[in-house]
Amino acid sequence: MSLQSALGQLATYRSQNTRASQDIFEKGSLVLQKNGLKKMGDNSWAFLEQLTLAAIDVGRLDVADQCLQSLTDKFPGSPRVDCIRGIRVEATEPPEVALKYYGELLEADSANAAIWKRRISILRRTGKIDKAVTELSQYLDTFYTDVEGWLELADMYATCGQYDYSLQALMHVLLLAPQNPFHVLQAAETAYTAGDLPLSVKMFLTVVDMTDGDDSDSLAESAPRGITVRAWYGVKLCARRIARDARLATISPSSTPPPKHNNTLDELATERLRVAYSSSGQKGEIAKGREEVFTWVAAP
Amino acid sequence: MSSQVHMSLYLDPQIRDWVLFPITLVMILVGVFRHYVVILLQSTAKKLSRAGIREQRALARSQILRATSANSPIPALYYKAISQNLSEAFKSGTYLKDGPPKGDSASSARNPLSDPAAMDGMMAGMKTQMVMMVPQMVIMGWINFFFQGFVLIKLPFPLTLGFKSMLQRGIETPDMDVRWVSSLSWYFLNFFGLNGLYRLILGGDNSADSSRDMTMSPFAAMGTAQPGQPQDFAKLFKAECDNLEFAEGLYAWAGDEMDLKILRKYGKLPPNSVDD
Repeated sequence: MSLQSALGQLATYRSQNTRASQDIFEKGSLVLQKNGLKKMGDNSWAFLEQLTLAAIDVGRLDVADQCLQSLTDKFPGSPRVDCIRGIRVEATEPPEVALKYYGELLEADSANAAIWKRRISILRRTGKIDKAVTELSQYLDTFYTDVEGWLELADMYATCGQYDYSLQALMHVLLLAPQNPFHVLQAAETAYTAGDLPLSVKMFLTVVDMTDGDDSDSLAESAPRGITVRAWYGVKLCARRIARDARLATISPSSTPPPKHNNTLDELATERLRVAYSSSGQKGEIAKGREEVFTWVAAP
Repeated sequence: MSSQVHMSLYLDPQIRDWVLFPITLVMILVGVFRHYVVILLQSTAKKLSRAGIREQRALARSQILRATSANSPIPALYYKAISQNLSEAFKSGTYLKDGPPKGDSASSARNPLSDPAAMDGMMAGMKTQMVMMVPQMVIMGWINFFFQGFVLIKLPFPLTLGFKSMLQRGIETPDMDVRWVSSLSWYFLNFFGLNGLYRLILGGDNSADSSRDMTMSPFAAMGTAQPGQPQDFAKLFKAECDNLEFAEGLYAWAGDEMDLKILRKYGKLPPNSVDD
């Protein structure tokens, strides 16, 4: 592989924030061997940061230490380098040491978001979920626009079975990134798990609305794909449960009105799922498990 | 009288070598020098404390909520909860950096001169101003003192009489051709015209060009909301409460009629059927 293509690939990884650590490490070592550092100019520092993180990831701490050393020499006292050093500490030292290190940094600059997040991640990793949740709520109260932070909070609540709180956190995610259907899908599934069927079915339908085509004439012929299929599964699940027990439609902590025409919705979802598993997909072959899905959707 | 007579002046080449080029060179060098002095003087942006950031960003939260309120991605219960929470927090001043206001202290608009943080910002503006003003004044004095009344150069193209005051400052001869440029005017031409050259030498956002700074005063920035400038957040928060209430009136959940919409989209319901 030539140096040029390796550099190009690494730059792509950097811009897309991809965590392909093994690949980055191999290509990065190649660049170091061929002395490509000087060719990069100012980019070399971003590359060193990337290589350090990848090296820590694949366990080559000797390489990571070298990179970290040259970064420290170039930028003494930089908060970004401090954060990488913290990650390096986390790799080998016990979590208490890392916590202490982060605590000292936060003492000096209480508004360092990256360090704060690292500390929360350690808290969660070591099982102090309650403390992590408190810290993360505080963090989000300060840095409200951090979508990943809200998703993490929702995830933490969900792992504890607190689906209502999880849903609340997801609502903030929806406010911050209303264009992302995956977040809506997650909220819909959380609402389903929390037992709020009317809300759930409407959010699943929102996902369908966001992800199917805009051309309403050809919609009935075209097969749903990807995330839309999953949303139709959700609709089918909700509609079936409501059809079995109509009382479920009235139980809604969010006081969402029950869906109208539930039976038609059920039929539509069944039909869409059948179409999804009958038509040939992008690879030109019919999806596996067609029989199972057909039996499942036909079951009352 | 003599405008028709082609009267030609002969300029001593020494003027070119010892006046025209030095003035230009000095001005370029001063601009470059100024660029680096400004970089030196730039104080690093002061770090905000956690509470400070929270105060500054609190308004963004309600703005995000309001931005989509007419077609909100979240259902009514959650919307109202968030909206009311924010509104109460704004009213009671939870987000204020120094905590909720105590007792009867009328929220006095703080005097910016008494706030050290604001003073810093103003001083930085004054410093760059000084770096700009002082050398320009010195150069102008230098030109006025040594080269007053010098004619430096003849422009290679004709100009109308209107340019006389621009090009022949410091020479009070009504009859001279407009194409002749005086020393002081050459200074001003450089003063306003060197920006392009600086951009070539120093890159896009250099601080060498001084003519740009002429238009702004260190106090001009105070009226506008500049990051780091003090704002009366207590007042801003109060105003935001009204906005929140207004947005709540406009609120509608995007998913409200989604079941009917999807059924219509897939042709299961007639397009404009009135649902029962």
